[in-house]
Amino acid sequence: MTSTNPRAGWEKIGTEFYRKISLYTSIFDPDLDLSEYVVSGAPFSGALALYRDTTKITRYRSNVANKSSIDVYSCAGKLISRINWEKGTIKGLGWSEDERLLVVSEDGTFHVYSGLHGDFAPFSLGHGAEEYGVHSVRFWSHGFVALLKNNALVAVSSFDEPRPRALAAVPEGEVHAWSLIPPAYTMSRSVEVLLAMQQTIFVVDVSETEDRGLTDGPFKHVSVSPNGRFAALYTEDGRVWVVGSDFQNKYSEYDSKAKTTPKHIYWCGNDSVVLAWEDEIHMVGPNGAAAKYYYDDIVHVLPDIDGIRLLTSETCEFLQKVPDESEEVFKLGATSPSPVLYDSIELLEKKSPKADENIQRIKSSLPEAVETCIRAAGQEFGHALQKQLLRAASFGKSVIELYSSDEFVDMCETLRVLNAVRDHTIGLPLTLTQYNQLRPDRLIARLIYRREYLLAIKLAEFLRLPLNKIYVHWASQKVKAASGDDESIRDVVVERLKGKSGISFEAIARAAYDEGRGNLATSLLNHEPRAGKQVPLLLAMEEDEVAVDKAVESGDPDLIMFVLLHLKQKMPIATFFRLVTSRAQAAQLIEQSAHSQDKELLKDMYYQDDRPVDGSDLLLEEAMDQPQIQAVVDKLKLASRLLTDAKDPNAVMHTKSLAEATVLLKMQESFDKDITDNSGSYVGLSVNETMFQLIRSGYSKRADRVRSEFKVPEKTWWWVRLRALVAARLWGDVEEIGKNRKSPIGWEPFYNEVLSAGNTRLASSFVPKCTTLKPAERVEMWVKCGMVSKAGEEALKAKDMNTLEQLRDKASGPQLTEVERMITQLRPRR
Amino acid sequence: MAPNIDREAEHIKEKARKDLLALLENVRGKKNLVFSRDLPGIIGLFVGFSTLKEYGVEKVFVLENGNTDSSQRNIIYVVNGEDPATVQAVAGQVKQLQKNGNVEHEVTIAWVPRRTLVSNKILEDEGVLGDVNIQELQILFLPLENDLLSLELSNSFQDLYLHGDKSPIYLASRALMQIQQRHGLFPRILGKGHNARQLANLLVRARKELDADEANTPYTTMPSTSIESLVVIDRDVDFATPLLTQLTYEGLIEELNGIKHNKAEIDSSLLGAAGQSRPSGAGLATAPSTQPSRPTLKQAVQLDSTDPLYHQLRSVNFALIGPLLNKVARRLQTDFEGRHKAQEINELRDFVNKLPTYKEEHKSLALHTNLADDMTKHTRSEPFNRSLEVQQNIAAGTDPIYQHDTMDELLSRDVPLPTILRLLCLESTISGGLRTKDLDTFKRAILHAHGHQHLLTLSRLEKMQLLQPRTSASALLLPVGGGSTITSTSTTGTKTNYGYLRKELSMIIEEYNEQDPDDISYVYSGYAPLSVRIVQCILQKSYLQHLHKSPLPLTPSSTGWSGFEDILKSAKGPTFNVVQKPTDEKASKAKNALVGSGGWKYVFVMFLGGITFAEVAALRFVGRKLEEGGQRRKIVICTTGMVSGRSIMEGVIEKKGLGSGIKVDSGAQV
Repeated sequence: MTSTNPRAGWEKIGTEFYRKISLYTSIFDPDLDLSEYVVSGAPFSGALALYRDTTKITRYRSNVANKSSIDVYSCAGKLISRINWEKGTIKGLGWSEDERLLVVSEDGTFHVYSGLHGDFAPFSLGHGAEEYGVHSVRFWSHGFVALLKNNALVAVSSFDEPRPRALAAVPEGEVHAWSLIPPAYTMSRSVEVLLAMQQTIFVVDVSETEDRGLTDGPFKHVSVSPNGRFAALYTEDGRVWVVGSDFQNKYSEYDSKAKTTPKHIYWCGNDSVVLAWEDEIHMVGPNGAAAKYYYDDIVHVLPDIDGIRLLTSETCEFLQKVPDESEEVFKLGATSPSPVLYDSIELLEKKSPKADENIQRIKSSLPEAVETCIRAAGQEFGHALQKQLLRAASFGKSVIELYSSDEFVDMCETLRVLNAVRDHTIGLPLTLTQYNQLRPDRLIARLIYRREYLLAIKLAEFLRLPLNKIYVHWASQKVKAASGDDESIRDVVVERLKGKSGISFEAIARAAYDEGRGNLATSLLNHEPRAGKQVPLLLAMEEDEVAVDKAVESGDPDLIMFVLLHLKQKMPIATFFRLVTSRAQAAQLIEQSAHSQDKELLKDMYYQDDRPVDGSDLLLEEAMDQPQIQAVVDKLKLASRLLTDAKDPNAVMHTKSLAEATVLLKMQESFDKDITDNSGSYVGLSVNETMFQLIRSGYSKRADRVRSEFKVPEKTWWWVRLRALVAARLWGDVEEIGKNRKSPIGWEPFYNEVLSAGNTRLASSFVPKCTTLKPAERVEMWVKCGMVSKAGEEALKAKDMNTLEQLRDKASGPQLTEVERMITQLRPRR
Repeated sequence: MAPNIDREAEHIKEKARKDLLALLENVRGKKNLVFSRDLPGIIGLFVGFSTLKEYGVEKVFVLENGNTDSSQRNIIYVVNGEDPATVQAVAGQVKQLQKNGNVEHEVTIAWVPRRTLVSNKILEDEGVLGDVNIQELQILFLPLENDLLSLELSNSFQDLYLHGDKSPIYLASRALMQIQQRHGLFPRILGKGHNARQLANLLVRARKELDADEANTPYTTMPSTSIESLVVIDRDVDFATPLLTQLTYEGLIEELNGIKHNKAEIDSSLLGAAGQSRPSGAGLATAPSTQPSRPTLKQAVQLDSTDPLYHQLRSVNFALIGPLLNKVARRLQTDFEGRHKAQEINELRDFVNKLPTYKEEHKSLALHTNLADDMTKHTRSEPFNRSLEVQQNIAAGTDPIYQHDTMDELLSRDVPLPTILRLLCLESTISGGLRTKDLDTFKRAILHAHGHQHLLTLSRLEKMQLLQPRTSASALLLPVGGGSTITSTSTTGTKTNYGYLRKELSMIIEEYNEQDPDDISYVYSGYAPLSVRIVQCILQKSYLQHLHKSPLPLTPSSTGWSGFEDILKSAKGPTFNVVQKPTDEKASKAKNALVGSGGWKYVFVMFLGGITFAEVAALRFVGRKLEEGGQRRKIVICTTGMVSGRSIMEGVIEKKGLGSGIKVDSGAQV
């Protein structure tokens, strides 16, 4: 990285420049024969995963253990971890954008390794993968598609909760090659697969398979550009076609003149295609121009978002299109302002007056020149060049009046970060483009995965990012790896994290627990401020009581219910009740959910908790669902039996009422048997309703029996009888009652009820009986019956002249005469 | 700048709408939609059925009906996941779909308002977790009006006081956290009642957890500059108010017809010509109606401030509705007659342009006139007036024994059970229980009149402490203000002593100006709801002092509860005042200085367990008074749901009878 020649490694292909940068040298152990390995690199210059290719015959070496493993290296060849692999033949090895390693095996299972260190979650592809086996796999930044041996395609588009989905069916036949367009770049927003079959390409998505109708196949390779807009096809006769991914336009064609089909075809950025043989690379630019690179040994090609990494046993190189700003500054014979600015630095160092001359010459476009130099600095890997370019920018901006240095400062910051992580001890050779897309927070995450805590903290502080995750990860590693006794580890961790915000002690405790250090986990968990977070771990640790308490403390009903469901499944029911009934909120939740889902559980609970009245209420509820009267009665008896010896003051009242209900049902049953007219069934009516219906249907005797059986109060009885008789228009009976001297409810109700039923004659007969009312009210009553003269008499009795005069206006015919007579009678004699 | 708090309601509505539509959009192609029973009405508050159609929804089903058809490949469940039974039902249906479908279904489940651990566990146990897409649709508060945010939980009252299920409190805390995350911390949380205290605790805890999560926004570290305080009232501090019959227009519609999610089901005969063209709000009801077909057709009518006339009428005491409608009718008439005066073409054009407005107004006028007329039939009926009289007497503090005869009579006359239960519960609540002998007599009478199944109803009311025997012990427990020696601010009353509070907070206003009321008591024709009086203790100290004869310990600068602490000891539950301090004192001061103190300040009033329309009217009245008094304060009402004596009783009364299960072969019943 010391080369100061800015154009070292440049190559012109067609009209464009490409450059090959040597990132790291002497990276692998010379014993490691890369040709025996399958290599996959994480995007954004991430980690490399190496796995011995089982299809190749390897040299037998006695000193190497024959255990198979997936080795994870940094780009600089530093071994990060070694993951044991004994889970069958690997058919796909890939990375997600967030550096999760994905391993798909032939039997249709796939493992997601996160954090670079062997923590994994296994999943199954389903959709027949087990039966038929996986043929091959293609990955994108957030997912992958597996091609099964029966040509079925299964897509997984999230690794947090993978949900393998089958794509549309594909015709039978040999798949020559295939590739995919990530969902972000398709019209349908779901992944599309390009399959080279027969002479054509099939495009497959979730719902359909479409033949693109090409005739020049079979195509030996299909590759889609990073932005999903182009596809490169390799024909049998050694030609490369670049077409739009919608297959509408053909953009260029290149004849490799190769006899053997290349191993791989990749895109380098979005405008050139790389053909890779074992030790030869063809780089095909726009318009079919090409450059060729030859190697002594096998070379692995690892595509990235803005170029490709080339990996041999000795070196790791990066091949990319020369960024525009670099080209502008460094291109030979350029006359634009930025190279002039750049050159003037050299002149300045030589103290040549030409430096100033140059500056004056480009003064009008100096701001652009400064900007270009700053940006070009960002594209460089060599420190010397970075410095030189920044110096040029700095010189330029010192000449400009009123220049905002923000961009300059930002670039300096960014370069410090990039240089720090590019160092071979870290091995993250990010380009500026990659860094901008990856974003600082995810870079920090990558450092955490590599357990570079110190650097991570320093960078996070430098970039003003939160530190909590770094601390938590550090502490988790600490509790996993440290060998001391529990107390001292806890003290170290707690001491170090004291006063830091956002620390998830739950995560640390979980790490301790996973390591089998239960006590340590418990004591760490006490430092977790979020009650809710503690619960799942507490459950896993079988700290059941604490878990329930913490859940209750959180106030979150979901959490409480979750704990309870969990415990109910694993505990003897008696223990469960003991645990629950002492905690009101928990008990109430269980009660509520059991009420709709598990009545037997609730009965047990009431019994254990000594709540006979509630238990009896539950049986009463059940009684109402019974299809036969006898069954209802039986349930009521059960309900009643629960209450014997109950101390609850309500129990007496309940017992009585249940007994009453039973008697009433029996009576109603017999009424139903005896009364066969169509007045309807009595079963289920209330006492009052039963009496009402009996009277209305003319069975007063039976109603009376009900009355005495249930000791219905006098007033109620009178009311019910009155309403029933009126409803049935049994006027004779009403009249009969009216012969009584006294009524416990007074006679007014009789008047009102009868009147509202329309029988004014009968209603009026009750007016004189309403002796407690005021005369004026009685006057009103008479009037409502249309008996104005009677009303007049009432007024006369009360000597109420006013009323009489009002009545006169209402009266007509003989009644009018009557009223007038009364008026005269009342009028004082002159 | 913090988001504009004036438009919080709009924001919430818009967000809910966007989230739902995004969910639909993410599932490509046509789809069937399945809602849990509580949701269609709620969804209807922010998106119309026609919009759903535009987003590819073919048919809508209700989960509980179990009739989801498999005509579409894509099926989206939008389901409330808080209740395990509902989750179980979803799991069952998904399994069914998988079994019998010849098509492979693409199932998406959107849990409202969040994905729960329990739902994960149930789906996992049922073996469908891996086969479905899971999302969440975070719908918590929804605006019923711009100043009224509701969780629209239909059972929050029963959940809290009957089942002891604290979910409504938790959901309320989540909803309020969202407000805090957007506008900053409530500088003060004031409250009354046990559940209120719990809500405040949850809020304080949630803030700590946000800190720990580093998920805090700038707003959760600093008190808001636009919000003054949050006032939390636990419904059980004042059970009496919802038991009384609401006497505002809106309140009375709720009592007689029921209003759900701003819609009332009204006899279509009342709508007359007016209703035919009015878009039926219940657009989501394509699923077969759950009600059995009735002889009279009901139609859903939208009742909110989009109808200017309703906006004008809703808070008015029902007694004044007739004259008001009359006035509006006359104005409309003169306006319309105005067309004869139009001479010039441009005058005529103006008139024609206004025609649609006239039409709308006319329709609305017809609707409300018919509705009010229909309601008058009820309000003139004798039982209604008798029960109202009993209510008012009990509320005014006359010895309830004198009301027993009337109550007995109402029972014998077979008035609806809710009416009589409300009276009994009201008596029990206000006078600290019924004498055991009276209580037993009434219970017996109720069982006789309405059936023994109501043993369950009575048990429930007792569990809710709505109906209780008066023991000598509980009479002693009735706290009386002042005398208590406990100094902490969280003095706990075990029961609300209405007798004492009625006097101290002037809850009965005998004489008031009907036409232009000057006190909130107009909403119950003379009774000022205790719950709102408690809010006034914070917001209108000097007004209450004015009503109170003797001086209270008040200074002009009194804030929080001060001046009323002693009095409020006589109401149930703790009285508290939590000040939320900024994480960074200096930054907060700087920000305060920057914003200045001239702007409007908002007071959020949260009712846990539900609020009545009459109380809403009263709070709006208080808000208007504050504004008239030159105080730059506005009230935003929050609640777990709307509540009324009708809805409480509906939720409590046992619906089955002892003969429910029995198959009868003889003909129809009475």
